[in-house]
Amino acid sequence: MTRLRFLLSACLLFCFGLPAAAATTLTVGAIFVGSTNDYGYNRAMHDGLEAMKAAVPGVTLLEAENVPETAEAERVMEGMIQQGAKLIFATSFGHQQSAFNLAKKHPDVVFEHAGGWMLNANFGNFFGATQAAWYPMGVAAGAMTKSNTLGFVAGVPIGYLIGNINAFALGARSVNPKVEVHVVVTGSWSDKAKEAAAAGALIDQGADVVAMHVDSPATVIQTAESRSVYSIGFQSLEARALAPKGWITGLGFTWGPFMTETAKSVIAGTFKPAMVRLGLGQGMMAIAPFGSAVPEAARTLATAAADRVGAGFNPFTGPITDNSGAVRIPAGEAWGGDKMGSFDWYVEGVVGKAK
Amino acid sequence: MSTPFAAAVLSSSILSGTSLLYATLGELVGERAGIVNLGLEGLMLIGAAVGFAATSLAGDPYIGVAAAGLVCLAANLIFGFIVIERRANQLAAGLTLMFFGFGASTLVGRPFVGAVISGLPRLPVPGLGAFDALVWLAAPTALLLWWLLFRTRWGLALRAVGEDPAVAFAAGQRPQLLQFQALAVAGLLGGIGGAHLSVGLTQTWDEGMTAGRGFIAIALVIFAKWNPLWAVAGALVFGGAESLQLQLQARGADVSPFLMTMVPYALTLLVLLIWGWNRMSAAPAGLGRNFFGVE
Repeated sequence: MTRLRFLLSACLLFCFGLPAAAATTLTVGAIFVGSTNDYGYNRAMHDGLEAMKAAVPGVTLLEAENVPETAEAERVMEGMIQQGAKLIFATSFGHQQSAFNLAKKHPDVVFEHAGGWMLNANFGNFFGATQAAWYPMGVAAGAMTKSNTLGFVAGVPIGYLIGNINAFALGARSVNPKVEVHVVVTGSWSDKAKEAAAAGALIDQGADVVAMHVDSPATVIQTAESRSVYSIGFQSLEARALAPKGWITGLGFTWGPFMTETAKSVIAGTFKPAMVRLGLGQGMMAIAPFGSAVPEAARTLATAAADRVGAGFNPFTGPITDNSGAVRIPAGEAWGGDKMGSFDWYVEGVVGKAK
Repeated sequence: MSTPFAAAVLSSSILSGTSLLYATLGELVGERAGIVNLGLEGLMLIGAAVGFAATSLAGDPYIGVAAAGLVCLAANLIFGFIVIERRANQLAAGLTLMFFGFGASTLVGRPFVGAVISGLPRLPVPGLGAFDALVWLAAPTALLLWWLLFRTRWGLALRAVGEDPAVAFAAGQRPQLLQFQALAVAGLLGGIGGAHLSVGLTQTWDEGMTAGRGFIAIALVIFAKWNPLWAVAGALVFGGAESLQLQLQARGADVSPFLMTMVPYALTLLVLLIWGWNRMSAAPAGLGRNFFGVE
């Protein structure tokens, strides 16, 4: 009887299992530096992959969380290739070298790395153009603040992050010239206790809107919520679930369209490596729904700013002075592209020292 | 809107210092019985993960804190079995416990990353401020431990074991039983310290979220000269160093943020430098040595 059941199930498996396996057109591997439940960077990547899986029929997805930015990453990706992966997303900045090494070893596998600079025949690079997209966040914050003090919790003050803060401040002051943005650097992309203390310190100093650029916005948003101030999220659009009362809006990555295109091009054999940097209105960044506390006027201002950025408006158009009063971008000049990573100064209105 | 600077620094020092204080008090009791536990960092991580997970499952932060304390108590008794019963090297066993804690906390916490909990509520006391229950209980716990260690026969016996287990044994004490009791207290407090980070301070769980606070707590035991009352001062100073630099940044002090993030660690070095010469006189004489019984 047992044997009969076994045979029967084997037959069933043969009939239904094989067609399913044969329908796989592409196996996609993805590695994450953290957990995909973080309401932040990794969640956004995971959501993008899920969107890709839904849009491209026959995709099998292999995911590995908490992959350190060491040689271990190479072993994990190698394992995915052994399982048949032909497209690999290395999603953290520090995974770049490992992925690049493997790309040379496996010319038949396509690699896409997030946020780096390396390129090869089978190695592309992608990221969101975050700086300009922070401008409408600033507009929303500037329209909401009563104390004219905005707080920003910063992880590691690299040029790109300073650019985000600068655009945030420019946006806020475009609707409310009295606004000051106070910055607290924690010195780490992920140190929850420090993030809570940093957000607390900003609120102690009078900030009534708190924004952040760390791996996961969860701690800062929850600290703001528990102290009844507004928050603006970053990385994943889903972070709004953490602040039912104080959520204003947030900036999130929408990787789905790009990942879908890439998967399709790999299946069709037409993949071309490129340095892709797309922002608002270009499919890689989006603005989260507004919270219930945000009045219509503020929504209109922020949406209009987002539309302007989507239509090509560059917030870093001179004249722009830094917070010591020196002109950094003279009138008639505009910063974009690679310049976004080279900020080592804060714009006027930011309280803090960049270096 | 804004809070006066000194009050803000003080209240955030107390908040950051609370988990440090519990962990320090726990380690202190263990060391008073002659056992140094370098695994405190891992123990705190287990406390943070279990506390968060239990809070998420039970929906009650106090159950979460209790679960964290009890699980860490059990973990420390396993450590005790290794170093007291099996007489393994305390430093090696401690480091093993630390790595075990890293792994175990990741395993326990994984399904709960991103879970939303309602953490320890703030309980306002007129004229003093609004802190959670663990903050209010921290200093009384230190006082209670001081009384137990220095004013009871149990404490006397425990300290005697820490100085010289053989002599304590000759005086009719049971060194191993006392060491187990000390480690139970240490585990309980270490777990509560970890849980305060996840359930009280941040209301999130993240892998490795203690970020070295377990090691700072071990250093604080030395700073406190193995006295629970000094530990209160120590935890405040170190909690204060961290929150002072964050508060200064929030105020827009004209100092480099890179310099600021160094402050707590520079202070640790400075304190160890100043207190260093005292160490030999204050440390329990039998610290770190295994008791092999008396033939």
